Amino acid sequence: MAEIRAEEQTLAISKTFLIKPKLKPKARTLPQTPESKYWSSFKSTQIPNLVSSISSLSFSPSPPHPFAAAYYASVSLFSPLSLSDGNVSPSSTISSFSDVVSSISFRSDGLLLAASDLSGLVQVFDVKTRTPLRRLRSHTRPVRFVKYPVLDKLHLLSGGDDAVVKFWDVAGESVVLDLTGHKDYVRCGDCSPVSSDLFVTGSYDHTVKVWDVRVEDSRSVLEVNHGKPVEDVIYLPSGGLIATAGGNSVKIWDLIGGGRMVHSMESHNKTVTSICVGRIRKENCGDESMEDRILSVGLDGYMKVFDYGNMRVTHSMRFPAPLMSVDFSPDCRTRVIGTSNGIIFAGRRKGKENVESGGGWNVLGFESISEPERRGLRPTHFRYFHRGQSEKPVEGDYLVMRNKKVKLAEHDKLLKKFRHKDALVSVLNKKSRENVVAVMEELVTRKKLLKCVSNLDADELGLLLMFLSKNATMPRYSSLLMGLTGKVIEMRAEDIRSSDPLKGHIRNLKRSIEEELRIQHSLQEIQGIISPLLRIAGRR
Amino acid sequence: MMMRGGRSLVSSPPAFSNDAKKLLVCTSNTVSVFSTATGLQITSLEGHTALVTSVVVVPPSSPAAKVLCYCWTASLDGTIRYWDFSVPELMKTIDIRVPIFNMVIPSFLDIPAEDKGKHRDLFAYVFTEDTKETQEKTKALRRQIRKCNLSKSRLVGRLILGETKKPEVLTVSPSGKFFGIRNKCKLRIWKVPDQGSEHAAVRKITLHHTKKITVIAFHPTQRVIAAGDVTGRILTWRGFGNIAFAGNNGVEKQKLINIQEDKPGVRDNDDADSCTTWHWHSAEVNVLSFSSDGAYLYSGGKEGVLVVWQLDTGKKKFLPRIGSPLLYFIDSPDPTLSAISCADNQIHLLKMPSMGILKTISGIKTPCCCPEMCKGLGNGIAFDQTAGLVALRTENYCIQFYSLFDDRGISEVQVCERNHQPGDDVTVIVTAVALSVDGSLMSTSEVKLAEEGIGGLVCLKFWQAGSQNKEFSLSTIVYEPHRDAGISAVTFHPSGNMVVSSSFGGDFKIWRCNNDIIQSDQMHQNFSWTCHAVGSYKKRPMTAAAFSADGSVLAVAAETLITLWNPYKNVLLAVLGDTLTPIVNLSFLGKSDNLAAASCGSNPQLSVWSMSKLSLSWSYKLRIEAVASAVDSSSFAALALLPESSSETTFKGRDGVILLYNATNPVPTAIWSVKKAMGGALGFLQVNPSSVEEVDGKTPEVLLAYMNGDHEYVVFDPYCKDAHEVSISQKEGLSALELKGQGGQYGYASIYGELPEFSEKRPETPWVPSFPSERPWETIFSGSSHNLPPLTNLCSAFLESLLEKRTAAVE
Repeated sequence: MAEIRAEEQTLAISKTFLIKPKLKPKARTLPQTPESKYWSSFKSTQIPNLVSSISSLSFSPSPPHPFAAAYYASVSLFSPLSLSDGNVSPSSTISSFSDVVSSISFRSDGLLLAASDLSGLVQVFDVKTRTPLRRLRSHTRPVRFVKYPVLDKLHLLSGGDDAVVKFWDVAGESVVLDLTGHKDYVRCGDCSPVSSDLFVTGSYDHTVKVWDVRVEDSRSVLEVNHGKPVEDVIYLPSGGLIATAGGNSVKIWDLIGGGRMVHSMESHNKTVTSICVGRIRKENCGDESMEDRILSVGLDGYMKVFDYGNMRVTHSMRFPAPLMSVDFSPDCRTRVIGTSNGIIFAGRRKGKENVESGGGWNVLGFESISEPERRGLRPTHFRYFHRGQSEKPVEGDYLVMRNKKVKLAEHDKLLKKFRHKDALVSVLNKKSRENVVAVMEELVTRKKLLKCVSNLDADELGLLLMFLSKNATMPRYSSLLMGLTGKVIEMRAEDIRSSDPLKGHIRNLKRSIEEELRIQHSLQEIQGIISPLLRIAGRR
Repeated sequence: MMMRGGRSLVSSPPAFSNDAKKLLVCTSNTVSVFSTATGLQITSLEGHTALVTSVVVVPPSSPAAKVLCYCWTASLDGTIRYWDFSVPELMKTIDIRVPIFNMVIPSFLDIPAEDKGKHRDLFAYVFTEDTKETQEKTKALRRQIRKCNLSKSRLVGRLILGETKKPEVLTVSPSGKFFGIRNKCKLRIWKVPDQGSEHAAVRKITLHHTKKITVIAFHPTQRVIAAGDVTGRILTWRGFGNIAFAGNNGVEKQKLINIQEDKPGVRDNDDADSCTTWHWHSAEVNVLSFSSDGAYLYSGGKEGVLVVWQLDTGKKKFLPRIGSPLLYFIDSPDPTLSAISCADNQIHLLKMPSMGILKTISGIKTPCCCPEMCKGLGNGIAFDQTAGLVALRTENYCIQFYSLFDDRGISEVQVCERNHQPGDDVTVIVTAVALSVDGSLMSTSEVKLAEEGIGGLVCLKFWQAGSQNKEFSLSTIVYEPHRDAGISAVTFHPSGNMVVSSSFGGDFKIWRCNNDIIQSDQMHQNFSWTCHAVGSYKKRPMTAAAFSADGSVLAVAAETLITLWNPYKNVLLAVLGDTLTPIVNLSFLGKSDNLAAASCGSNPQLSVWSMSKLSLSWSYKLRIEAVASAVDSSSFAALALLPESSSETTFKGRDGVILLYNATNPVPTAIWSVKKAMGGALGFLQVNPSSVEEVDGKTPEVLLAYMNGDHEYVVFDPYCKDAHEVSISQKEGLSALELKGQGGQYGYASIYGELPEFSEKRPETPWVPSFPSERPWETIFSGSSHNLPPLTNLCSAFLESLLEKRTAAVE
């Protein structure tokens, strides 16, 4: 860094102290952690008027990561780039559905979109042309979820109210496997990020089952019991852990360890409806690293960020409606939350627009492209001698610091010149009562306040009385101002009697003091009622 | 071993060395040499046995001789010494056997260059006290100006230039031709005789004024003299002594010319051409000095403002708000450097045309005067045991941190954001200062006095130290912590995260620290203090408070009673009763289970209470000024003021004794008698082996620091039997430092000979336990209201108390 040097090595012999009001007690709020700073840095945009509950949200895995929202009988695609400009209208809408769309999923290359609806139909669309390419009909009851596997472009997973999980061959529109085992509606599922054969489904029968297509008799490989109807289940990026949401809790399970519960997060007050994986960019000691978090939303209107490495909730955010769905973009720049009343809260973080996201989502890993470092100007360069005032210091420069000039308010200047009355009048003309009281206190320490009061002319006395009538009963200032009020009336009784406007001020003063007396009386009454009770309680 | 310090740096004007790289400062018996570049002490000239009153640096006779470092010093011990202060080495001692109040050496200022080869006698003019002729002469005129031949090491016999009642300051002109003194409303100016013969007649003139003159200054080149008076006027006489000093027959001429010439402003036919008056200062002028080129006049006084007058036009420039009365202004040979000495024991080195402070040589600040109503609130001195620092309140609303081992000021903390104006009424007072054991936290309380009953304010402030250098920053302010009642004591818990403040309003509060560690660019701890508990005992004023060494017990003095509390749960544990007068000082004695309480008033008392027995173990009727206990031993030291009668006879002006006790034994293990004990303080310091030199191959365990009322201090090993005498050297101390080998025994015999008469020692009385278990309902509600015990506990205790119960004492 540039070295900082003071302009002069001498110290001023005298310091100038400003007249400052007394400090107010601060509310003891927790300081913002870097993590909550990160989460609140998503600049929120509302996408309103989407008719009904947002049942599902999904980001395209390919940049620039447009996202699709399913609401009522239509699916809309939004571009996150337009969010930054404040444009909230969808870029395209697919509405060839006969019933409410329940779930949507992008293929891993982002070219196809699968959507399921409550009529039991699963459709596959071309994202660009919005034409339905395949219609997969086999479910007898409403389909609740559909999911493309992460590493597989040919198959599709779906589940519904008929308690059957189906594994589809998309090209042939045929069911490869019927996985039966759930005893109630299947509500959710996810495919393993590390294997194309493994996936999990969650059902209202409280269980989450892990399936493997390679298993012969279509039985589940593993089963964990969440204890509540399961609303959502996701694989965590490692592929070894899953997170389930149901009831008020989000539970994390270790699949490799045989379905052991690792942790249960129970900070929501109402049912958790949706969870997804979010990422945070941690910067410690210069090098960046990404850490995964679980974002969960619930009917209580809260979004919670759960650090499953440290097993604690690191951030929580409130929204004004029950939340139904959440998703987080693979480039870590957008998070969208859908509510039950048709509003999408989309948050977008500032960043380089054209960053080549290698897809942190990719298993291959994220490689940041190092930028060439900008070099500072050297004295060998011609432009070095044409630098202006706004030039930033470079390493090795000596910084000559100018002593900061103390800014004096008008009353400070007057007090410095010992013009006490003028200082009082000037601060009374300003509208800050803290400063008025501060100047009065300073005058008290100089033993000049009463002298000032006796020197005020009629107009200035009116100012003072107006101030007193407004503020004398305020508890913060009353200890000084009540005493002063008494002194002022005592000292300037003659002037007040002879002037009508001053009399008006006195009337106001009287009124406010009567009001205060009434309050004090009623408080005393309450105290009178309470204190015998307290005494009896103490005696017992 | 013994360490002295805290001496006044401003008892006499300092002097710059010829290269302006060193500053010679008279510090009581020694002359300290400071570096002007760093502001730190380089060395000291030790040898005088009384206060050094003057230091005169020998000016260079040629530019090449600038590096020579010779000086003359004069002292009240009657000697004039010649030093090489670069080494430092004593070269010569002249004993004239009369105390010297002041010395000037005008002759070497005007040695012509060609005279260098010739040896000439060097004369000094000294202000002495005539000790011999006291009986014969009137006592009034005992101070004399005499001439001293430094080359031949003797006073010039029977040559008395002038006599005054009080010792005055001799001022010599920069040219070395004149010197003068002020004497009430008159100025006396002598002309230094040209040839250095001994008995050459010295001619003098007198200038008159109507007010008392306080300070005079000679112009460097012209015959101009300036004088300041008590009302703040500055008078400038031009062309003084034109007649008297002109030729040989001046006396006749004077009479002739007087009639003819018009002399504006000159009084009484004084020998001057004109006299002009400037008036800016509102109080007396203490500092007058011409700049070396003679174009400017510097003046300063009680207001603490340095005024620069342009001599020809009378235009003024100011250096305001220095915060303390100015005492001396010294120009250095380097034109960009000068020094001002302030009454608060600071010497500021100024960068000259801009008048910014380059460095401050910071002595210990003088005690500040308090209005009467705030007396007895403690002396505002706190010791930092580990670092060997003392924190003391100063007049400009600061807390000064002073290193006892290094004998220099470390830093200052501005407690109230106000500028101090000397001479103003004191309306804001820092009443208490407390440091945590590790010295990283500080708590101060201040009082703003009300103006005719309105606007009074009590503030409690908590401070935290920065990473280094005792840079304290404010962490919490509490306005009116005990409503409008004043704070009597503030004490830190040994762990440092708890503070108790007791008030005269009848309650005490326990404050706890919540530290949030903010992880910004570096680790930064942010402390905030909140009230944890409030306690009171029968609405009595709480006068003192102390924590036990392990922090488990809090003792709060409720006037004459001592209440013991659990500070964590705020439960009253026990009440110890009754001293005769209110307790002002409480102190747990190290790790032992004893508590020392000092009470003042008409029946002063030092009492030691046993915590295990909850009873008084012993007590003395002594006026205790301060009590200090070592952290890890059971001994404690008390500073007691002697009664007036005994101090005059047996202690030779010493008004206090330090008594070192073992807690269990009422017989003191050691006694030292001290001077100026009023307002003194005591503190044990932990020994840092690197900072203390070893004595006889072993380092002392703890050191005891005693600071007297003038903030001079001495640090010594209380268990070392050799250094038994603590005699704080002082400004007016004419008597030499005598060392009495067995002073302790002497003092003990003199005071405690009649020990049985006034001792309230009651070792045999069966102690009455005032433990609350017998009648719990009496004490149980004396605690804080929010902390009532649960009903189940109360019920059982109450029912048990109704039943006849065999007490523990019967067993």
